[in-house]
Formats: sequence, C-alpha cells, structure tokens
Amino acid sequence: MSKVINFLKDEWNSYSRNIQISLYVLFALVALFVIFGIQILFWGLGYTDMNNRFAMGLWIIGDLGFVALGGGAFFTGFLLYIFRVDKLQSLINSTVLIGFMCYLFTFILLVFDIGQPLRAWFGYAYPNWGPHTMPQSMLTEVVWCLTFYFIVLCIELFPIILSNKYLDRYPAIHYFAHYLHKLMWIFAAIGTFLSFFHQGSLGGGMWGVLYAKPYWFRHHYFYLAIVAAIAGGPCLMMLVPKIASWVAKKELVPKDAYMTLAKVAGVTFIAYFLFRIYDIYSLWTHFAPLFDRSFIDMMGGYYGWWVITLELLASLTAIVILNVKKFRENDQYFMAGLISGVFAIVMLKVDVLLHGFSIPNFSWEGFFTYNPTFQEWSIFLGSIACMILIYMWFTRYIPLFPEKHAEAH
Amino acid sequence: MAKMTRRWGMVIDLDKCTGCGACNIACSQENNLPIFKDDSDVPKRVTFLDLVEVTNDKDPKAQYPDVKVAYLPKMCQQCSGNDPNHPQPPCVSVCPVVATDVGEDGVVSQIWSRCIGCRYCQVACPYEARVFHWWKPRYEGTFKKSLNPDVSVASRGTMVKCTFCSHIWKRERDRAIANGVTDINAVTYTPACASACPTNAIIFGDLNDPSSPVYEAAVQKNPRAVRLVHSIDELRTKDPSEYEKRLKIKDYPNPKVYYLTSQQWLRDKISGFKNS
Amino acid sequence: MKLERKDFLTMIGGAVVGTGVGTVISPGPWMGLQWLVEWTQDQYRPPKGEEKYLASICDRCPNKCTIQVRKIGNRAVKIETSNQGCAVGQLLLQVLYHPERVTTPLKRTGKKGKIDFAPVSWDEAIADISKKINDAINNNKQEQIVAINPAYPDATSMLTERIALFSGSPYVFQESGYWALSNACSEIAFKTDGAIDYDFENADCVVSFGARLFEGWGNPGRMHNVLSLWKKKGIKFIQIDSIATRTASLADQWVAIKPGSEPLFAMGVAHYLMKYGKRSGAANFGRFTELLINKYTPEKVSELTGVSLETIEYVAKALISAQRPIAVAGRGGKVNSSSVAEFSIIQTINNMIGSMGTSVKLASFTTPVQPVIPKKAKGLDEYIASDSVCDIAIINNANPVYSSVYGQRLSDKLKKASTVVLLTSLLNDTALYADYVFPTITSLEIPVAGDAAVTLTSDAKHAGDSLLGIAKSIAKISSQFPWKNYLETVQTVKHQTKNIANLDIPVDLIITKLEETEKMLSASGSYSIAMIPFEIPTVSDGSGLSLPYVLKGLPDTILKGDTSWVLMNPATASKEGISEGSKIDIESSRGELDTVRVHLTKRIAYDTIAIPIGFGHEEFTDYASEKGVNPKKIMSDAVDPASGYADWWLTRVKLS
Repeated sequence: MSKVINFLKDEWNSYSRNIQISLYVLFALVALFVIFGIQILFWGLGYTDMNNRFAMGLWIIGDLGFVALGGGAFFTGFLLYIFRVDKLQSLINSTVLIGFMCYLFTFILLVFDIGQPLRAWFGYAYPNWGPHTMPQSMLTEVVWCLTFYFIVLCIELFPIILSNKYLDRYPAIHYFAHYLHKLMWIFAAIGTFLSFFHQGSLGGGMWGVLYAKPYWFRHHYFYLAIVAAIAGGPCLMMLVPKIASWVAKKELVPKDAYMTLAKVAGVTFIAYFLFRIYDIYSLWTHFAPLFDRSFIDMMGGYYGWWVITLELLASLTAIVILNVKKFRENDQYFMAGLISGVFAIVMLKVDVLLHGFSIPNFSWEGFFTYNPTFQEWSIFLGSIACMILIYMWFTRYIPLFPEKHAEAH
Repeated sequence: MAKMTRRWGMVIDLDKCTGCGACNIACSQENNLPIFKDDSDVPKRVTFLDLVEVTNDKDPKAQYPDVKVAYLPKMCQQCSGNDPNHPQPPCVSVCPVVATDVGEDGVVSQIWSRCIGCRYCQVACPYEARVFHWWKPRYEGTFKKSLNPDVSVASRGTMVKCTFCSHIWKRERDRAIANGVTDINAVTYTPACASACPTNAIIFGDLNDPSSPVYEAAVQKNPRAVRLVHSIDELRTKDPSEYEKRLKIKDYPNPKVYYLTSQQWLRDKISGFKNS
Repeated sequence: MKLERKDFLTMIGGAVVGTGVGTVISPGPWMGLQWLVEWTQDQYRPPKGEEKYLASICDRCPNKCTIQVRKIGNRAVKIETSNQGCAVGQLLLQVLYHPERVTTPLKRTGKKGKIDFAPVSWDEAIADISKKINDAINNNKQEQIVAINPAYPDATSMLTERIALFSGSPYVFQESGYWALSNACSEIAFKTDGAIDYDFENADCVVSFGARLFEGWGNPGRMHNVLSLWKKKGIKFIQIDSIATRTASLADQWVAIKPGSEPLFAMGVAHYLMKYGKRSGAANFGRFTELLINKYTPEKVSELTGVSLETIEYVAKALISAQRPIAVAGRGGKVNSSSVAEFSIIQTINNMIGSMGTSVKLASFTTPVQPVIPKKAKGLDEYIASDSVCDIAIINNANPVYSSVYGQRLSDKLKKASTVVLLTSLLNDTALYADYVFPTITSLEIPVAGDAAVTLTSDAKHAGDSLLGIAKSIAKISSQFPWKNYLETVQTVKHQTKNIANLDIPVDLIITKLEETEKMLSASGSYSIAMIPFEIPTVSDGSGLSLPYVLKGLPDTILKGDTSWVLMNPATASKEGISEGSKIDIESSRGELDTVRVHLTKRIAYDTIAIPIGFGHEEFTDYASEKGVNPKKIMSDAVDPASGYADWWLTRVKLS
C-alpha cells in the first residue's frame, strides 16, 4: 500500500508546477462532473436551463462538436490506410485516441441528456426502422451508427494500448497487437463508411429532416455536415498534438505530417466554405420563403448575426492560413489556423442549435434565450477535463507518438 | 373488422372564446397532469392544452387603443402531413424508439412508457405542443384521489402530449361493445376540452363526416377558417398552381385543428409570419 | 454407465454456461431493466374501480349549473360540465381533494396572526360559541356581534343574518361585490331591495360601462351562454374600459376611456340621449337634466374621459336605435367596485331608453320574516372603518381580511375580538385571526337529490348546518330556526324577479360623486399614475389561487415565482424610465406595495398601471400563500356613503 502511495507521490512530484496547477483545475472539474452528474441522473433534467421551447442545449452542442471534430479520426485513418499517405503514421495513434474520446463522451453526454437513461437501450431494442431498409428516424441511424463506429474505434485503439512497454514485453500480446495493426485498414474502411453516415445524420440530417422547422429544413444539410467534419476534424487532430508538444516543450510529431494533413484540411475548408455560402444562400432565397419567413427576420435575436459572422470569419482565417504555404509553415500562424478551423466548426454547431432553438415558432413570440445552468456547464466542462486527463495519461504511458518513442529507443 | 373511416379533428371558434380556462383545467384533470406548488416556470410547465394569449400590441403600428387580445386554446394539432395514404406528422418519423405513432384515426399517440426522453419529437414539432416532464410529476396527498385510471401517470424524463383524449374514445367503444356494437366507426366521443367549453367554441368531430360540423371540405371553404402557422392555406384559393408546387417541395404539417375568426389581425397572427 | 468425476464436472460446467447464455439472450435482463426503470421512477398507479356518473350541482355562483361527476369506485375523477358553466365547475375536484382542506373543527391554540389551531369537537366548539353569544345578548352587548357573508348571498347568508338580527345586532354584511352595490343602489334609487338583473338573452344592443361581462362578472355560466347567443344573433355590444380586456376585444366596439371615468362617460351618453329626445319620468329627472346641461356637456365629458364627441354620440345613438338596449353597470369581473351614484346614472340611462321594466329588472330573495333593526353601517367597509367594537364575528365562506381595502383594520378588530368563527374549507387570510374554524363541504358532497355525488369521509359539515347548529344552541333565538337541516332551510328561500316600479334619481349623490371623480382623474402632486385592477377568470377574487390547476394556466407575465406583474403601456414606461421586467414599488397615499415586475403592453391606457387582483394572500394554503401582492392594501379607501363600501377602482399612485 505504502508503495503505491509513494509511487503516486513520486509521480506527482515529477510534474512541473504549471502541470500541477492544471491538474488541480482538471480534477476539480471532474469532481463537479461527478457531483452534478449524480444530481441530473437521480433528480432529472429540471436543473438544466433546457425547457419545452429550448428542448436541447449545451450538451447537444457538445455532442455535435465532439462528433464532427472526432470525425477527424475517420478521415485521417482513411487517408493513411486507404490512400496510403504514410506520413500520417506519426499522427494516427493520437488521432484514434481523440476520436475514441470524442465518441465516448458523446455517449456520456447523451446519457445525461435523455430523460430516461435507464431506457437508453430501447434505441437498440425498438429501433424506428421505417418501411424501407433505411431507418425512419435520423436518431435511430445516429444511435446505431455511433455504436458501430465506436466499436471500430475501440478495436483501433486496442493495439495502441497493447503497445504499452510493460504489456509489449509479452510476446503473445506483441504479436496480437502487431497483426491487429496490420488488419487496421479493414477497420479504417468500415469506420469511414460508418462515419460518413453519422456525420451526416447527427450533424446535418437530424436537423435537415425537420420539415416543419424553418431554420433547419434543407435537403443538403446532411452533406454539409460531412464536409464540415472532413474540414474541421483534422484541425483538431493537429491542434491537440500541437498543444501536447507545446506542453511537453518538444516536438512530438514531425512537421511533415502536419503539413500534409493541413494541406488536405485547407482544401476541404475551401469546399466547406463554398458549400456553407450556398447553404446560407439557399436558406435565404428558398427555404425561409417556403415557410413564409424572412431570413433577415430569422437571423435577428440573441444568437443570430454574430454567431454566423464569427463562423464565416473563422472559416476564412482557416482557409487562408492552411492554404498559404508561408502562413502554414509559420508555427504561430499555423496554430491560429488550427484554432480557427476548430472554432469555425464549433460555431456552425452553435449556429444550428443555439440559434435554431431560439427562433420563435409563432408570430406572437419573441426570440428565446438559453443560459446553461451551473450543472450543465459542470458536466460539459467536466467531460472535456476527463478527455484532457485521459489524453495526458496516454501520452505518458502509451506510445502515442511512435516517432518520439523510436527516438527514445 | 370494418375499415376505419374516422379522422378526428377540431374547429375552434375564437370569436366565441373568452379565455375562461375551462378547457385548460378540464384537460389537466382528465389527463392527470402533475401538480406543483410553484408552476410559474412556464417554459418547463406540463400542459397539454395551452391557453395562449395572443395580442397585436407588439406590432410597430399598433397604438393604444387600437389593440386587441384573443385567447387561443392550443393543443396538439394532430398533423397528418400531405400524403393521405401515408400520414406523416413532423414528430412521428423522428422518434428513435417508436414511442409516438399516428393512428388510423389520424390521432398522434404517445406511449409514455416507451419514451426515452430524447426530446427529438419536441424539436420537430412546430406547434410547441409536446411537453417534457422536466421534474418528477407530483400529486400532493389527497390530490391522488382524483387521478383518472384511464391515463397512466407518466414518469420523469418522458415526453407527453395531447392525444385528443383518445382514451375517452376507447372508453366509449368499450361501452358500445358491451352493448353488442362492434363497429369501430359507430361510436363518436368528445375530448375533455371540447365538452368543457362553455361557449361551444371548441367543436370536435370527424373531418370526413359530411354531417359533422367539422366536415373538413366545408371548413376549408369557410372564409373564417385559418390553421396555426400554416400560411400555405391562403394559396389554395389565391394561387392553386403555386399551392400544388409548394406541396410537392415539402411535406406540410397539415394540422387537423382549424381556428375560426372573423378578425383579420388574428388571422394574420395565427397563420404565420407573413402578414404579422 | 459409470459417471466419472470429470463428466460430472463437465455437465455442471455446461449447465452453468448454458444457463448463463440462456439468461443473457432471453428477455430476462431486459425485463429486469424495465422493472428497474419502473422501480426507480416510483410511478403512481391510480386504482381502478367501477365507473359511475352521478348528478350534482356547482354552487359556486348563482347559476347553479348541473354537473355530472365521473366516479371510479368511490373516487371522483372528473367533472362533466357539458358545455355550460365556467372553469369553476371543472375546479371542484381540486377543492374536494385539496390536501390542505380543513377536515375537522379547529380551535385556536396560539396567538392570533398565525395558523395555530388544534382540532376540537363540534359540540365543544358550538357550546363555547353559543355561550359567548348568549352572554353578549344577556349583557346587552349584542351590537358587538357581526356577521359577514360572501359576496353572492345564498341560504347560508340568510342564516347568519338571522343569527345577528335576532340576537339584536344590526351588523350583517356581505363582502363587497356586484350584489352589495346593486342592492344599495336599489334601496336608494328604487326604494326596494334586489340586485339589478338584465335581460341579456333578449337584448339587441348592450353598452357595458366597465362591466367585464365575460371575465367572471355576474354569473359566469349564464354570461357564457349569452355570448354564444350574441354571436349567433349578431347583436351590438359596446364595451367601455381602459384596458383591452378579453371582454373589450370580444365586443363590436371598445370605447377606451380614462381609467375610472365611467360615471362621467355615462353622463355624456345621457346628455346625447336627452338631446335626441329621450326622457325619463323619474323623480328628480329635472335636476338631473339641469346637471347634464349646465355641468356635464358632451364637450366637458369628452375632455374628462378622453373620448371623442363622435364616439359618445355613437354610443347614445346605438342605444336609441335598438329595440331592446341595455346599459350595464358594475365595473369589474367577479370583483366589482363602483358607487351607488354610478349605478344610478346608468339606470337613469336605462330609464331614458325605455329598458327599465322590460330589459332591466330586480332579482331578490324572499326570506322568512326577520326583525327590522335600523342599520348602523351601510356596508362592510364603513363598519370596519368605524369605531364599533367587535367581540363576536361569524364569517361565512368569506375572506374579508383579504378582500376588503380595510383588511388591515379588520384584522386589528378581529385580534381584539373574543370569538371569531370562520366557516371555510381552506385556511385563508381571515383564518389568521379566527378563534374557531368550521370546515365546510363542496356542493359535490351535498345530497341534492337522493345521494350526494361524493360521500363525505371527513368531519366537515355544510356551512348551513354549522350555522344552524350554532343558532339552535343559543337559547334566546333558537326558536327562530325551526329547520331540521340546511336542505330544509334552502326550501324557505325563494328567488324572485321584480319589476322596477319607480326611479328616484339621487342627484345630490351623483353631484358629489362626479366631483370626486373629476378630482381623482387629475394627477394630484406626485401621484401621477392611475392604478386600476384586472382579473384572471380562474383566479377570480383570489379564491382560485389555492388550486394548482389554476396556477398551471397562469401566464408568467401575471405571476412568476412569488412576484406579481403589472401591465403598463410602453409609452408610459419610457417616460418613467421603466423597461420590460423592471422591478418597481407602487406607492399610494395609503402605503406601499412590495416589489412587482412590469410587463409592457399597449393594451393599457397611458399613465396607468393595471394590476391583477386575487394575489398576495398572507395565508391561503401552500399553493397561494405569499404569491404576488394584494393591491387592496393600497387601493383607494374612500367609502361611498350610499353603499358603505369603498370605491377602490381608481387609485392614484407613484412608482419607484
């Protein structure tokens, strides 16, 4: 027992002061997550600021953001295993872990978000499959697809965990992990296939099919969400190791890998931006008038113009930085570009949800507001804190960055 | 079994509505709505029938005393979508667990014990007709005695809604069966709100029945008729070709609740945003 | 066959694995989860039982609607009102099954001002009360007895009246309302008793001077039928008010006047009627016309009320051109506030247009013979304001501490009284000062014909039976109460409709009242804002607020949490520097109200706030206590000398 305590003490003391402070904050957030998680699970969603008019809130915005950004994992895997862009090998472990965590916490937030967590399995037991082979409800599609993709992510993560230097000593584990790794392209292919679907359905389809709701209904929204995930996901996949390098004060991933992925992200961001402009245009000229609504009127309220403006500005920043070699190669600009890319996608989700919900349904209503309660913030930020802690733990004990480890060897 | 011919609907004459609240209370009583000491958090309140106060006082042109107020009993509008062979209300197709469905009589049902509380249907509903049990439903002490056994008490964290009191129809049918009448179409019924309305402003019946005061073909010709946030109705007579075109572009909720009013400002407010 | 140890183990192992796999793929785990779901939710299941429908009545207003009670076993689960009546009938179950209903007689155990009671037996309570009344009679202190009845009189009112009068006390009152005011008007202007009763069903033009006809006014069940009828027949209905109320919006025309200027507007209409040759044979009509010609010319009325000359003329012409026109007096919904002078002007109009005796009659009760004792106070407010000592009070189904603008003063009086008996089903503001509380029953528990719809399980009694119990045990007066029970008493009270024989216009009263009104209309000093009340039909006079399904229907611009909201025109608000949701304090010359919030709407006249009544109970069950403010605390307390009730409709206030 005292051995364990001593080990933990040594571990703790080996961290720098700054890391220790960060850990205090993260642990505090995790504690809040646990406390308020219990409150929400046992006493219900009354403690949130969601209500009958603003039926979904911060957690769903978080879910959509996590899934879209975590979608970078499928796209990076796709490039690496299917297109054989081998330079990305050095990013892939970190990418798989981020993807795994994003999906894991999407599930966790969903459990908090539904009113009957104990009935969550109804989604599998009584799925709303329509008269055809496709699921009738976008949410059924989301639940099944997320589950399968999550399983794929688990399989992809498995060999990475097994490459821990203590576990790797056992030949059986070593070879198992090795061959699993060899088969990874199959899972990457399955994952890509699945991910395409739920990126579209959760990010876009779920809202695009709501044919009675003026700000959401549009046929192409499904595809826009896929493009958004392809553009924004890689940004997060680069941003996280970039931050990790900054914290570790040494480069964890070779610049090549970043630049390769950045070029791809830059180009997709252009496609995304054009698509988004078309999206706004169609909303303005076609879909809003279908409901006898004016786009300008719908964009009023508390979260209208500024959200969409910030979103577009962030997209433009990302496009410029990621596509212009001079900016891309500059470390600080590159960081700003990645942050802009991630921010643009998050703002897209804020726009569709926060603003989408605040739009009145009746002519006698005004715009609605939503201020997440402390409970909602705690659970949301607590989730992110958990993710950061897991990532920190992995960087320390699992060879997330094979290049770095190779050097060490 | 005879084929279902009933298609329940409502016509609400707002010129006769005083906003007395009888419909709202009858509904709460019939459907076992929860009882709270402080029920003033309106956005989280559980009511199936919302008595909405509608006024034109926010219009920039409106000036005292040229303002009016009206009361609008707003329940689930029991949308049918615009494909008669495949009724598809906005909320039904989105449910991930088939907790809500549209019956052969056109009434949108909600099985509370099946609902997982994801609220996707609530997001899909343009009429704010669906309500969620944000808190555990409470029935203080002896209030429990007045609970209706025909309506199950919902759990916290589930979605509930107006079902046109279809349990009353079931009750009436059971009574008919006990008397040897097995034809499902033989029995009519009246939901709690309609039978409570003291001015007969809420009329309930079969939209397909030519002898009913709510016969849809006749109601649609009534110049006083207007449906909630359904401005496309105007095009039916004004511009039939555009109407057909629009219908093809998109499913419309096509609700089965009609409001009647002779006041233009109120028609504008109800029909949507175009003129208000 | 020899069973080896190894085989045996294999078999056991196989069985374990098989059971395990079987369980996992069987519905078992899911059923278990489903059970867990239900168990954690602790869902209540209403018991089933035999279904019955029993007839009953709703006795909450004079309309006495017939209702059907749906019963499951011995539980009443629904009231069927069959498209008649109003929301109150639907609310009967909320009263019947209210968890805080008083179930046994209660006797005060602590100091007054608190809810501090212990159960007591009926016999003990009645013995004590009757002894106190007997003593008062014997010690010549009869005049320290007071009886207070509800706003709408019924057979129980007759019983309290008899207890007071036969004991020798002149102090019998009813809560302020249409009946009290209307009766006061009849006494002065028609020299008889009875409430003014309009033939709405056959009218073809109705001008309502601030009577919010479809918001609880008169008897709401009848008024709802009237509305259906009017909409069918398309009769002309003109509403005069300072708020776009629901009644005003249902009217063909709404005439917006300055708050509180209804009597002046009526004078303007009368002037035009006179101009168009309409005359009245009433005594004093000459003096009345002099007043119209010399003082209340249309121009002056127009200036005072803010209504154009054309509109005043239009209203007069509408009355003239109709066959059966009616001018309706009685400002407000269920809660009324007006003056005898205002009633008289409007009845003079009815007389001028020839409706008196045809469309306007009197409704009254015939009661068994009672002693005539000269009144020492005309109305409850006058009594409270006076120095009369109160030692014994019988308060029958009323809440005067809450409903009177003199509530505070009344509570001081009741604090000093030795015996305050309150008959009520829920403990209310007045119960804070009661010595005895007698539980009453709902009409569902009264055996009207045959059995009662709901069997009584508690120790409660009908108010009439409690009152008879008290009366019969007072030696001196018991012989005056020959009835076995309340139902027998009801038989002795008969409704009757009377014609109005003659009208004597109380011109002097009118002159004083109009002068007062003029004064009230002009902003005096810093009290620059007019405050007028409005009512929510389900909350009514406040009695509905204790019922949770009423709370469920209230908009959050009326009550949010514990805070009431008042309505104000945005133009006034910007002048006062107030925005939507601002917290303000309202101050009148009488005092200050706790914080309220402001909802801005153009439905309200300028320089005016409209405040909801029925809120701000100090004590009225957990559902209604301390919710919002009670504006009566600061409303005008000028007592109308003719009725004895304060005319609190218009109050001048300032905001801070």
